[in-house]
Amino acid sequence: MTVKECYAQMGADYEEVLGRLGSEALVKRFTLKFLNDRSFSELEQGMQDGDAENAFRGAHTLKGVCSNLGFKALYEVSAALTEKLRGREIAGSEDLYAQVKASYQKHIEAIQQLAQEA
Amino acid sequence: MKKILIVDDVKMNRVMIEEMLEDSYEIEQADGGMAAIMILKARYEEFGCVLLDLVMPGVDGFTVLEVMQKQKWIEKVPVIVISGENSKDTENRSLDLGASDFIRKPFDESTVRRRVRNIVDLYDYRRKMDMKVEKQEEALHDQYELLLKQSKRIQQNNEKIIEILGTVVEYRDLESGEHIQRVKGFTEILANEAMKEYPEYGLTPEQIRQIVAASSLHDVGKITIPDSILLKPGKLTKEEFDYMKSHTTRGSELLQQISGAWDDAFGDVCYDICRHHHEKYDGRGYPDGLKGEEIPLSAQIVSIADAYDALVSERVYKSAYTPQEAFHMIISGECGVFSPKLLECFRNTRKKFEALAAKQSEEEPDD
Repeated sequence: MTVKECYAQMGADYEEVLGRLGSEALVKRFTLKFLNDRSFSELEQGMQDGDAENAFRGAHTLKGVCSNLGFKALYEVSAALTEKLRGREIAGSEDLYAQVKASYQKHIEAIQQLAQEA
Repeated sequence: MKKILIVDDVKMNRVMIEEMLEDSYEIEQADGGMAAIMILKARYEEFGCVLLDLVMPGVDGFTVLEVMQKQKWIEKVPVIVISGENSKDTENRSLDLGASDFIRKPFDESTVRRRVRNIVDLYDYRRKMDMKVEKQEEALHDQYELLLKQSKRIQQNNEKIIEILGTVVEYRDLESGEHIQRVKGFTEILANEAMKEYPEYGLTPEQIRQIVAASSLHDVGKITIPDSILLKPGKLTKEEFDYMKSHTTRGSELLQQISGAWDDAFGDVCYDICRHHHEKYDGRGYPDGLKGEEIPLSAQIVSIADAYDALVSERVYKSAYTPQEAFHMIISGECGVFSPKLLECFRNTRKKFEALAAKQSEEEPDD
């Protein structure tokens, strides 16, 4: 699996990220690091504990990281969730959270495949 | 290699920037505002640039900027703000707080590298220029000190020459040139007391130095008085005495002719002393009959010093009075009227006058 195929599988914008980061190798290195990124766990923990502050912060960070990596699909849903949580109110954000979670899992699966083949 | 400090609470962001820059710079990371402040506090001078995220839990990027500005670290270490917020307000606030530039998320590798390089190089250049300027300032300062020293020496030489000139004149009618030295000493004592007691005179240490130096010349006009009058042991006729008195005007005219040798202020002091040291406070002195404060202060001071010394010294026409006698003669107005303020100074410094008179007479054994 190439990085490009991985991006296609995640619904991410490979051309955009390649333009910004300059080389496929660098895109790949950063993409693999996403496996260790803790922003989604923070969001998940916040949602489980009903801690809106942590949930917001996790979503906000996840949005930023996705933007840097060009993860377009996950960026869009996490951006929407961030806005929903900006008022520090968890109620009403469950649907968006579910979408973020599904998208996040799809990304992790794709990147794990990329990692295995590397 | 220059060091870069990356401040961001999100590890992924720090790692991405580090990878973009690690070929060219040594990288350090701080995972929050407080950690960044601690690192900078300990060793801000090590860093060529700080990359600073704004939105962080706890101490945020704006606070870091404020601290850096307050501590003046930001003058040495430039800050590039990493901004996820694309608002003008955020940008302006950061720039107001001293940030040098902006990098927007998502990161663009070549933008990050180029912005960092530009700022680091710019500050590096500035640091070098500052050092150069500092060195040049040091050199200028040294030269200034040297000039000051030389100008002081010239001044001292000038004063020495003036003293010699005065002494040469004194040698004609006195047994030694000690009179000059004593008048200088008495003038200095009186002038310092006047500066202390009467600030309205506006005397400065520099003026006093000039007055003391110029007092050497008070009798320079005597060079123009013929021996038959100057050295006459008996009483002078009225005509002779009138001629004798002209040493004040002749002296001041002589000084006018050579006044180009020193600066104007000093030349004026010399002139005033030379011409007016025989004026009296009640207007009954000579040559111009000036009255009260019309008489230049310098001449008023020297006239007391001169009168006192004449009393305590032996002259061809008289023997010496004791310092006690001399003190009372000056105070009582027997030698003419002096300024009440300066007489007050004279009273206050009686001990110093007597000590100086005693010291001088020891050095002048009677034969």
